[in-house]
Amino acid sequence: MSAAAANRAIAVELQTWRFLKWVVAICVAIVAVFPIWWMVNVVFADPGVPVSINPRLYPTSLGSGLSKIQTILTETAYLRAYFVTIAYALLTIMGMLLIGSMAAFEFALFDFPGKRLLFGLVMLSLMVPTVVTIIPTYLLVADLGWLNTMQGLLVPGLASAFGLFLLVQFMRTLPREMIEAARLDGASHFKIYWYIALPLSRNAMVTLAILTFMKTWGNFAWPLIVAPKPEIYTVGQVVGLFNAPFSHQTVDVVMTANLLAVLPPLIFFLIFQRKIVEGIAMSGSKG
Amino acid sequence: MNARRLLPHYAMVLPFALLFAAFFLYPIISGFYYSFHEWNAATEPHFIGLANYEAVLKSRDFSRAMTNLGLYIAITVPLGIAVALALALLVDSFTGFWANFFRSAFFLPVVLPAFLAATIWRWMYAPNFGLVNMILGWFGVPSINFLNDTSTMLYALIAVDVWVSAGFNMVILLAGLKNIPQDLYEAARLDGASRLQQVRYVTIPMLAPILFFVFTYGFISALQVFDVPWLLTGSSFTAYGGRRSALMFPVMDMMGRAFGAVRFGEATAYGFILTFVIILFTALMFGLRAWRTPK
Repeated sequence: MSAAAANRAIAVELQTWRFLKWVVAICVAIVAVFPIWWMVNVVFADPGVPVSINPRLYPTSLGSGLSKIQTILTETAYLRAYFVTIAYALLTIMGMLLIGSMAAFEFALFDFPGKRLLFGLVMLSLMVPTVVTIIPTYLLVADLGWLNTMQGLLVPGLASAFGLFLLVQFMRTLPREMIEAARLDGASHFKIYWYIALPLSRNAMVTLAILTFMKTWGNFAWPLIVAPKPEIYTVGQVVGLFNAPFSHQTVDVVMTANLLAVLPPLIFFLIFQRKIVEGIAMSGSKG
Repeated sequence: MNARRLLPHYAMVLPFALLFAAFFLYPIISGFYYSFHEWNAATEPHFIGLANYEAVLKSRDFSRAMTNLGLYIAITVPLGIAVALALALLVDSFTGFWANFFRSAFFLPVVLPAFLAATIWRWMYAPNFGLVNMILGWFGVPSINFLNDTSTMLYALIAVDVWVSAGFNMVILLAGLKNIPQDLYEAARLDGASRLQQVRYVTIPMLAPILFFVFTYGFISALQVFDVPWLLTGSSFTAYGGRRSALMFPVMDMMGRAFGAVRFGEATAYGFILTFVIILFTALMFGLRAWRTPK
């Protein structure tokens, strides 16, 4: 084969490949995004026309969607579930970051007897699946009288081995000279942590906070068993109720409930997209 | 003097250590204790040896759940990773704006909480007016009741599962792809390797450690599948698993025994059996990796 013919063959192959890859990419993007788009359309659709006749490929009525949202927020316990879940997520994030960063500070930068044993245990716990702890933890929470309380929801999740791992990895890279210098200047141990280590670890803390928010907001099984009372329902449970087989809700009402549940993580994603993707990629490459 | 210098260190670790001991170590130990006792949380626990383990292993629900799980894992883990790898390669072949655009689009389902993916898809799968049936209808396929027909239920779950998890694994693999030196591809191209051969002989071997992680992690989470089949079947603690238990999975069965039947001893034994399976598999995977990696 002459060089020119070979080049032409390669050029043709490249062209078809380029065309094909666009087609595939667009199709996959539609499959990935469409169910979410469909949910939005069902909410923002003119009432009266059944979904079976009009498949809702685009939104048709802003007003009817807003009025459905208003109905759900005012006439059901949705708003309270929203507050409960936001409080659950925020308190988890704050507690986990504080407790985790304090421990990570020690594990990453100092040596003391028992450190290796404790750290080893925590790292080992990363391999223990939640199935084995979820029921005994529930029984412990019940013993403490914490069923249907905020502390029952959040306290068992505060000592996160994954969070500690992430923060230790990051804090190992902190400049030790700075910490030594602060010590020579007479700063107390806690001050070094608070004024030097914490601000320098902001990046890792933000990543952990975002991942924790997504995880807490999406947590379904734990609230389901530990907080079965309507007063402390999370969004996940309320959504579950709307979707229960005998809830007798129409599809547009159910989708409105679903849409409200997806808004916070969706907004988070749009703002922090890079952090989320980096955080997931980081946890993968370190394993 | 030494103790005084060490004190601040321990003080800083203390909150984490206490919570870790109370909500991780203690539950494991107490769970192990309960697993040998008959207990309904109202009366005193009553020692019955291995009877709980026996009851779980011999029950029909357990074998049903394990059969479902085996088929589910055998399809969903390899399929999910193959799709994720294909998507990662696809995104990697774009540059600039479009690379970002497609990455975000493919990643979007990951942002949804799993419970929402399940509830949206429940309606997409609905007979007659559900979107999936509508599209099949254009091709003359009669309406299928995906979530109530025992021959389709498992595959309907797998489709949702791949939809949700592909973007997650894609992002991890994409980070790995960026670390492969370009001159390896250059060398392969000079040797006359086609695009497919480049993937086979350069990309996959170079991604091996990450593929190993994704595979192991995918297996461990698939074994504990709960939210999506639970909601797809509209389950409750007393009735779960869907029609003829076609979407019954071990964790659902475990939860039902604990909170429906109130047999906590049996449920904790169930958890240990599942953990044993997970540890066995993980050890096998690590052994395989050590054996495959040349010294």
